[in-house]
Amino acid sequence: MLSIIVCVKQVPDTQKAVFDPKTGAIDRSATGNIMNPDDRHALEMALALKDAHGATLCALTMGPPHADEVLYEACALGADRGVLLSDPRFAGADSLATSRALARAIERLGPFDIIVTGREAIDGNTGHVAYQLSEFLDAPLVSQIHRIRIDGAHAIIERQYGHEYQTIRCPLPALLSVGSRDNRVRHPRLADIAAGAVQPIRRMTMDDIGGSESDYGASGSPTIVIGAELFSHTRGREALPGGTAEKVEALVHRLKKHNILRY
Amino acid sequence: MDMALDRTQLMVQRAVRAFARETLEEWANVLDRESRPLPAEIVAEMGRINLWGIQAPVRYGGAELDTVSYAIAIEEISRVSAAVGLGVTVHNSVCLAPLLKFGTPDQIERFVPDLASGRKIGGFTVTEPQAGSDAASIQTTAAPDGDSFIINGQKAFVTNGGVGDLFLVAATLDPAKKARGIAIFIIEKSMPGFQVGKIEDMMGMRGNMVSELFFNNVRVPKDNILGRPDEGFRISMQTLDIGRIGIAAQALGIGEAAFAAAATYAAERTQFGKPIGTFQAVSFKLAEMKTRLDAARLLVCRAACLKDRGLPFSTEAAMCKAYASDAAMRVCREALQVFGGYGYVKDLPVERFFRDAKITEIYEGTSEVMNIIIGNAIMKEFGRM
Ligand SMILES: Cc1cc2nc3c(=O)[nH]c(=O)nc-3n(C[C@H](O)[C@H](O)[C@H](O)COP(=O)(O)OP(=O)(O)OC[C@H]3O[C@@H](n4cnc5c(N)ncnc54)[C@H](O)[C@@H]3O)c2cc1C
Repeated sequence: MLSIIVCVKQVPDTQKAVFDPKTGAIDRSATGNIMNPDDRHALEMALALKDAHGATLCALTMGPPHADEVLYEACALGADRGVLLSDPRFAGADSLATSRALARAIERLGPFDIIVTGREAIDGNTGHVAYQLSEFLDAPLVSQIHRIRIDGAHAIIERQYGHEYQTIRCPLPALLSVGSRDNRVRHPRLADIAAGAVQPIRRMTMDDIGGSESDYGASGSPTIVIGAELFSHTRGREALPGGTAEKVEALVHRLKKHNILRY
Repeated sequence: MDMALDRTQLMVQRAVRAFARETLEEWANVLDRESRPLPAEIVAEMGRINLWGIQAPVRYGGAELDTVSYAIAIEEISRVSAAVGLGVTVHNSVCLAPLLKFGTPDQIERFVPDLASGRKIGGFTVTEPQAGSDAASIQTTAAPDGDSFIINGQKAFVTNGGVGDLFLVAATLDPAKKARGIAIFIIEKSMPGFQVGKIEDMMGMRGNMVSELFFNNVRVPKDNILGRPDEGFRISMQTLDIGRIGIAAQALGIGEAAFAAAATYAAERTQFGKPIGTFQAVSFKLAEMKTRLDAARLLVCRAACLKDRGLPFSTEAAMCKAYASDAAMRVCREALQVFGGYGYVKDLPVERFFRDAKITEIYEGTSEVMNIIIGNAIMKEFGRM
């Protein structure tokens, strides 16, 4: 049977978020928390593998004590156990320090055949963690997965890459990074919610994963945030001059420039 | 007394809300305009996530949740589509619940798994053209014949009538005995002589195929009587006690939807250079709407908590149903007013909320009948009856 671990993160519900217009920071106290949307798709990928091949499925999160909510949710959806990695010494971690802590926890909890993460989190949007985990755990990483099946010690993966489909064969253990377009997340059964909500959660601290304080949290984080600005979505208008042929050519040029057309 | 929801209840709220938004929302207006039922695949998906067996035991395919979670689920569905909420609450609370409560082990084995999974949809029917609030005056008859009863008669306003597979049907063994002559029969659509009459063309709840049902010499085995043959009226009344918590939750859902729409609109719509929500006349409306809805919520929650603890809840169920349906009606009226002319057109859902809300004051006992129940309890308590 496969052994799978899914990394999930609790994030502020940015759709309802209140931003400080000066600092660009999220007012975390005014916002509800949710499971990071991409991580729901990661979990769905793991659940689909579990349905198809049979698997034990562990959900792992690093965060403050209340981050266990996403683990109960993961259990309601079909994870077999939840692990919360929580320690004041992890506070202020950037993506590197986060990935280091996650990787060490995964090594302690493992071995796993498959490690699944979401593509990116909606609070930081770095998209780093999957790549960093791949490095720390020395396992190949595959993203943009369209279809996957397991064949012995390999995964056969169809992936959508730009405008192409690739079929690749990848040795296990492997990391999968999953985004919102890769699948459709199921709704939990109410019976599984009732069971998942009372599932015991394993709690781990720095003492359980080893290393020293300087590896983690703010002190293990090389990233320095020098500022944050709010995004503004603006639309522009442009009238292309010339005859039809020139207009088409100019349009194609722009589409290529923005990577909408690639050939 | 703990007023906060526990973890399971919160997760149920979140999950049903997400399901309703992602799956039911796009259908809500279509069902209303075309007066049609939900597509079969959505009914099946609702079965998969246990919405047709919210409180049924897990071993029969249900979720075995408490009544507070049940009310939350009905509220969340009804916020998006009250018509779907109606189908779900009737199936769960006045068909499945009495089967589980009064059914023999054999009846439970035979009927509950199909209902709790949504493979079969259920209903409950007492009302007849001549017997509404006076439920004991029903004329549908049950005549013993060997190991069976032969049922003849007509039922009116049967929720889920047009789509249902199994109905709990009140019929009289002896009209002279009035209430004591009434028995409840488990009748399946497949039984010869069972016929669905006209589907009602209604003001609201148009996504539920509320219909007439006809019984022409329907032969029902004795084993299909729910409870004792002289117990039917008592079973009906106890069933409606449970059902009323669901109807109150449905009313609350409609009211919350209308309130949220009005509050959002009041913050956006500007007249005289300001959002209309800054005018005291509008903000006081919103304040009263919210207060009424919260009061209704507490009454629903109390009735549900009492039921979960096995305490008497009949009067409390009547109070929460009367209050929540009244709150829904008032909130919808004021919400429509906040929208001005835009509330009156079908482009926005407020007019649907308004039409849907009205029936909550009528079915499963009118508000007047709720007051009779509450009044009787008061008189009993103060010793004058
Ligand atoms: C959409 C819809 C779905 C329904 N679903 C079901 C269902 O699934 N199963 C089912 O059995 N029934 C169902 N009903 C029927 C519903 O429960 C009845 O309509 C309701 O009980 C009232 O009965 P009635 O319509 O005959 O009104 P009546 O009983 O004739 O009442 C008319 C008016 O008189 C008042 N009144 C009556 N008696 C008294 C009294 N003693 N004191 C003071 N006022 C009184 C009433 O409050 C009401 O205002 C449904 C109805 C509708 C419209």
